[in-house]
Parts: sequence; C-alpha cells; structure tokens
Amino acid sequence: MSFGEGAAGSVLPQHIQQRVKRIAVILTALLVAVFVTFPVYIMIAIAVQSPAAVFEGGAVHLLIDSVTFRNFRILFEETNTVRYFTNSIIVTASSTLMSTALAVAAGYGLTRFDFTGKTLAARAVLFAYMFSPIVLAIPLYVIFYTLGLLNSYFALAMALTGISAPFTIWLMWQYFQTIPISLEESAWIKGASRTRTLWDVVLPIARPGYISASIFAFAVAWNDFTMARVVMSSDKMYTITVGASLFLDRVTIGWGETMAVSLLICIPPFLIALFLQNYLLQGFNVGGLE
Amino acid sequence: MSTVNSLKSSFTHLDERQLLLLATFIPFAAFFTIVWLIPIGYALWMSLLHDPTGAAIFTGLWNYVDILTSSDFPTFLWHSIVYALSSTVLSLLVGLGLALVVNQEIQGGSILRTMMIFPYLLPTLVVIFIWKFILDPNVGVLNQWLIQVGYIEDPIAFFSTLKWAMPAVVIASVWKFGSFSFFILLARLQAIDPNLYERARVEGASTWQAFRDITLPHLRGAILIILLVRGIWMFNKFDIIYLSTRGGPLKATTTLPIRVYELAFEAVDFGGATALAGIMFFLLAGVAVVYFSVFEPEKEVTH
Repeated sequence: MSFGEGAAGSVLPQHIQQRVKRIAVILTALLVAVFVTFPVYIMIAIAVQSPAAVFEGGAVHLLIDSVTFRNFRILFEETNTVRYFTNSIIVTASSTLMSTALAVAAGYGLTRFDFTGKTLAARAVLFAYMFSPIVLAIPLYVIFYTLGLLNSYFALAMALTGISAPFTIWLMWQYFQTIPISLEESAWIKGASRTRTLWDVVLPIARPGYISASIFAFAVAWNDFTMARVVMSSDKMYTITVGASLFLDRVTIGWGETMAVSLLICIPPFLIALFLQNYLLQGFNVGGLE
Repeated sequence: MSTVNSLKSSFTHLDERQLLLLATFIPFAAFFTIVWLIPIGYALWMSLLHDPTGAAIFTGLWNYVDILTSSDFPTFLWHSIVYALSSTVLSLLVGLGLALVVNQEIQGGSILRTMMIFPYLLPTLVVIFIWKFILDPNVGVLNQWLIQVGYIEDPIAFFSTLKWAMPAVVIASVWKFGSFSFFILLARLQAIDPNLYERARVEGASTWQAFRDITLPHLRGAILIILLVRGIWMFNKFDIIYLSTRGGPLKATTTLPIRVYELAFEAVDFGGATALAGIMFFLLAGVAVVYFSVFEPEKEVTH
C-alpha cells in the first residue's frame, strides 16, 4: 500500500509521516471517487444531451451545457421501450413477491423445526446460490418448451425466482435465528396461537430481513439478462435488458438513445439505494450478494 | 384449566405445529424440486443422450468424451480460469484499497461509501453499455485521451481485438464487482478493535507493521471467502461477456458458460451443451466441497 511504505522507512519525523499519509489517503479517495463516478457521469451526460452536441467536431464533449429530452422521445416513439419496461416490471414484481414469500416461509420452517437432513438442505441451498444461471437455463428452456411455456411471464418469473430464492431463503434462515425463541414462547404462554405469534410477533421483528431479501430478489430479476434471453424469444415479451441489448445493433439507434435507456433502467435501483441503503448493507453482512 | 381442556389445547397445539411445519416446508421442498432438482436431473439425463430434443438415443458418456477431447475445450477452460482469476484478484485488490481508505476517518468517507454502491447497483447491461462507450474506437473517451497524450497513434477497438478483448471484459467486471469486495472487507475492518492499533502505536510499530500484524490477519477469512465465492461466480459469469463480446473476437473471450449457450442455441446441440453444463456442475461441486469443509458455512444453521 502506498501509504504504508513511507512509514516503513521511518526516517521522517512522526508528524510529517502523518501528514504524508493523510495526503496520500485523500488523493486515493479522490482518485476512487473519479474512477467510480466518472463512467456514471458519462452515461448521464450522453443521455440528456443531443448527439449533435456531444459529438460535435469529432471529439466527445462531456460537459453538460444543453439539456434535452430528444433521446428519450426517440426511445419512446421509435422503439418498444415502454412495452419492454412493462414486461420487466411485471416479471420483477412477481418474482420478488414469490421469492420473498418463499424465503419467509422456508426460513421460519427451517429455523424453528428440527428434522434430519437439515445440513443437507443448508448445503443444497448454498450450492444452488453459487450455481451458474446459464447452466440452469438450458434444462429450464427445454422443460418450458415442452410445456409450451416459453414467452410467458410465468415461466420467466419462476426461473428468476429459482435464481434469487437460494439466497433469499438463506438470508431469512439466518435472520430468523437471530430472533430468540423465548419471544414466541412467552406469546404462546399468554395464549396466542403459533400462527398468530408468527404474524404478530415474529414477522414484525423479521422486517429488516425480508426487506433485504426482497431487495435482493428485485435486483436479480431487474438486472437479469441471461434467463430472459433464453425464455423470451418474441419481441413483444422482451424485458428491458434484452430489448435494450439489441439497440446497439440497430442503425437507427445511437449512443444517445442507448444511454437514455440505460439511465431509465438505473432509476429503480438508484431509488432503492437512496432509501434502503442500510437494509442493503445488512444483506451484504449476512451472506454477501451476487 | 381442566385436564380435558389442557389435553385438548395441547392437541390443537400439536396440530397447529405440524400444520405450520407443512405450510413452511412444503413450498420450499416443492419449489426446490421443480426449479432445481428436476431441471438439473433432467440436464444430467439429457447429457447422456444424442439429440435429446429430437429422436433421442442413449449414448452414455459419449457427449462428455466428445466435449473433453475436443481441441478447443482446454482453450475455453483456460479463458474461464484467466477471466475468473484476474477479475476476482483485481476486484479484491481494488476493494481492499478502497476499504482501507474509507476506513481511515477522512472527511466525506460516508459519501465515498455511498458512491461505491453505484457500480454494483447498475445492471450489467448498463455497465457494459458504459464501458463499450468509453473503450469505443470511434467515440470512446479513453482512445481520445490516449491519442491526446500521444500514448497511441491509432484508436484501439478494445472489445474487438484479440489482445485487448479479455482485458476490456476484465476491466468492466472489476469496475462492477470491486464494490462487492469493498463492502465485505469494510465490514471486517470496522469490527477490528481500535485499541489494538493504539497499543501497536505505543509500542512503536510502523503503519506497515500494524497493517501486516493486525489488519491482515483479521481480513484473512474475508479475503479467502471473496477469492473462493467471487471466483466461482466469475467462473460462472455469462452476461458480462456475452453482452460485451459475444465470446469473440475469434473466441478470444469464449468461456465455458458462453460455450454452453453457443452449443445450445447456436449449434442446437443440447446433448453437448448439457454435457458441458454437467462438467461445470461437477467442477463447481468440487470447489463447493472445499468451501463447505474449510468454512462450514452451514454450521450456524445446525448449531
């Protein structure tokens, strides 16, 4: 590390060492900030300006001096963007709901009930979590094909739930373990039924757990390209990631529209980052996200 | 409460318990069976057939022999290893550097932390769009700058030249996944007792010594996990490479997942595709055995 080396020589007096280290840290931080944000800035700069302004005179101008909605207008008028977004929203919402519900139920069951093969179940869930979506996509494609389910919201939502569920189940499984059983027991003693206790005592406490689970399931479904590419082959059923991925091959669509659609795709995840950041970090801490 | 009543209530209690067990376990088992066990079992079965979607003929392990002895299998395996290893190690280093910086109490540290989450949240497609633009030979900012400083004379088409395609894919991957390592390492760093550093300082240890003797040992487990788990995920990654290079140019970035897709949907060879998927499955299972025996991640569950 750059700020470690200065100290290793330790010829310099302590306070100068400290100052050099401080400057090095701040410089690194600045560098990082630029490295991380600059590409995002580029996306925004190209999305909100007309291509004529950005590519004027052969060189790329990245200072935003004239904001226009031209790129978005073309996107909405000349492509199926609205349709793709609708498909994405339907599939993401269904998959998020399914994955979270499944995770809450399974997580509670796996935590509160003892049965043989629990270790095996844990390993199977973790193993599935590390699995490659494309490897799962091939047999799912053949199965959906045989059942006549290709190009359906149901098939894609199921497939995406398959991808997110191992982690959401794992997360809830871990999360329910942090809730002491004594809370439930005291409710039972007071005469509440198990179901009632689950509903009124356990679920409210588990809220941070299932919020981070649903954020994860949302991110998996919203960002997915692989499953949608395999399951949805009709233009009408493309999700936004598949639909937009074909933009670059089209002559009528340029970087302006491509970055505009990118910006639109980013809005939901950004809103989540803005409002639910702490839950997201919690998810990271429990099991690491993909 | 009379004995009859308490007996009755304990019965309903038991029934409810069983009901709840069923209500929670059945969806889990059913879903896992439908979406995981059956497809994987079916894929393993398909991998033993010739022409599994048409007039299927049982061929035993022939598809596996075919894949493993094909002249390009070692190449694609090598690409997978190069891609997984370089993107994992680089994003670990980037994440470690950033986590160390943010962990220093500098002004704006929390802003930096919030910013770090951006690349991670951008969908893969958007990450690829952005990097395709930056590295584009005609409009790309990087080429423009490199020419301006006089480092190169002609623009480089990073994603479509043999020499640069893999590094370009790795850069985009590191940019997106550096934050993964960052958050895991930052969490570990913040859990280190500050008194340890105080004591080391009093005893005259240099910054480097403190890093080597206090920080690094605390991060060891996290670093191993990142190398192993991130490595598996990068080995299995399909979308980043497919979206940026389609495996090209001239197969220079074709990894095993890309090859599985090609075999299934371009060559329409589902036997070969599932056999290769099977090989990936067994590779993953092998690494998973190591992962489970070293870290025992499921142990917390069964305690």
